[in-house]
Amino acid sequence: MNHASAATGIDIEADLARCAAGDEAALRRIYDAEAGRMLGVALRLLRRRALAEEAVHDAFVQVWRAARSFDPSRGNGRTWIYAILRHRALNILRDETRSDLSADPVGEEVASDEEDPETVVARLSDADALKRCLQGLEPRRRSAIVLAYVHGLSHGELAGRLSIPLGTIKAWIRRGLLSLKECLG
Amino acid sequence: MSASRERDALAAEYVLGLLPREDMAAAEELMRDDAAFARLVDEWRGRLAAMDASATPVEAAPSLWSRIAETVRTAVQETPAAAPVRASVRERPRSGSLIRLWESLGFWRGAGLVGALASLVLATGLAIQTQRALRTPVFVAVLVTDANQPAAVVNAFADGRTELVPLNAIAVPEGRALEIWTLWDRQVGPRSVGLIDRARSTRLRLDNLPLGPNQLFEITLEPVGGSPVGRPTGPILMKGLTSQAL
Repeated sequence: MNHASAATGIDIEADLARCAAGDEAALRRIYDAEAGRMLGVALRLLRRRALAEEAVHDAFVQVWRAARSFDPSRGNGRTWIYAILRHRALNILRDETRSDLSADPVGEEVASDEEDPETVVARLSDADALKRCLQGLEPRRRSAIVLAYVHGLSHGELAGRLSIPLGTIKAWIRRGLLSLKECLG
Repeated sequence: MSASRERDALAAEYVLGLLPREDMAAAEELMRDDAAFARLVDEWRGRLAAMDASATPVEAAPSLWSRIAETVRTAVQETPAAAPVRASVRERPRSGSLIRLWESLGFWRGAGLVGALASLVLATGLAIQTQRALRTPVFVAVLVTDANQPAAVVNAFADGRTELVPLNAIAVPEGRALEIWTLWDRQVGPRSVGLIDRARSTRLRLDNLPLGPNQLFEITLEPVGGSPVGRPTGPILMKGLTSQAL
């Protein structure tokens, strides 16, 4: 896969319209441009390669199936595709958690070093308001928001990780989210 | 917190992935019914999208695209009728798309992830056949046997129709029938939603019963005419939980 293609950009909205018309080459173009990064996103959430690939597989099938329902007035094509991917990955994550299959993935490739929240924020573009606004949050609130989004941590896991009582973590994160929104304007 | 801030926070938590599955399903229902809430979700997706863009790309296995293309082609070639699930494993063709679907199930069996992932593969495959929006199930349950073999699928549609589609023939002894049950609340106990003499596709009578994610469906062997006590009495032949279709 050519990772550079993600940066050069394709016209995802136009390709989604072609997918809706049954043009498989358009799906392939989206795949070539985005699958590597999508796999990266899925791997951060699911940690296991086989599960992450399954999430990407299901996401592309769903993109193909639902391309006709994509509405450009509701957001850009890339955001739509990643929303589908994240939805799939989060559902797989919940299934895994419930069935306890994730306890000890023996002999499987696991994302080696989980990126810490500060690294994720540092990698955001300086031109992106999200970076500035996340950096403006109290550090543990910033961590909570990034860990939830990027690694799929639950309220309980965040409470443990950040030493915030479980009873207050929800309201505490909500306040962080609302300040983030205010900052982003 | 005011009602509007409450809704905004809910949309944010949904996008962040913080909602437990039941709340996630409730939020998705709200998105379908309430354009203003859907817009809040879209806005949060836009705000946080840059974090996805920050992910390091990972080289996908070359087989990933071929599996996607295969599933997509299977979907396109099938008519909306449930053609692929009518063919049982025994009758499977020597070539063609169906056999590949089963092979992909075999792959997941090997990986020891039969329940969750076979459900995903099957649910995805079945959902694709029904391309038109109205024919897309809202919830899908794959019922598996004790041996973890997918044996039937329950599809629930937005208009309230719910159907059972068996994937294999089932041996039904003389004088017995297959009864289909659903359980959404242990306090209430299982309710009968269908009775069939042999494995065949059938509409389920869910009329006024609740339906949601993680709801149990099961088939038991009962006397002809159905369980005399209104509760399952015979052995459970297969069971599965509903998942929300995308």
